[in-house]
Amino acid sequence: MISEISTFFGLRVYSDEGRYIGRVDDVVIDPERRQIRGLALGEFNRGLIDSHAPGIIIPYRLVKSVGDIVIVKDVFKLKKEKKEEAQVVEA
Amino acid sequence: MIFARSLAKKTVLLSDGTVVGTVYNITVDLKTGTLLEILVRPQSNIPALERQNGFYVIPFEAVKSIADYIVIDSRMLRKV
Repeated sequence: MISEISTFFGLRVYSDEGRYIGRVDDVVIDPERRQIRGLALGEFNRGLIDSHAPGIIIPYRLVKSVGDIVIVKDVFKLKKEKKEEAQVVEA
Repeated sequence: MIFARSLAKKTVLLSDGTVVGTVYNITVDLKTGTLLEILVRPQSNIPALERQNGFYVIPFEAVKSIADYIVIDSRMLRKV
């Protein structure tokens, strides 16, 4: 589907496992390769992504579909599961 | 790394120095993430450029560089 780049602004981003990731603030582009590089999220789910950064950039290759919301591939579970495993070991 | 919001209202020039106008929007293919065209709010009348709904539609191939200004290669425009 062809759309204008401003349609991304303000869209909510969810993973394909139904997890809330954040909200699109801006789009990072690569003019040399004529490609969108990623989506910049200002507000993001800090329970899922362990970062104190003011924002994160989701690489565009993870984006599965764009419509009323954005759906990205869930690459966050590995990290979280690892953490849970670590806690189990500690206990 | 260039943020799309930073392009809004940037001046678009042809490679010969002619002012085309200011950036209004960019069209993209959502599936592949390919940048297709730049929509420019006209500031001057350039007959060589395609106009749609009052905006110039410039194919992204013709974009030579993006810095303080956006420079369009006018030779690329004739080919496309």
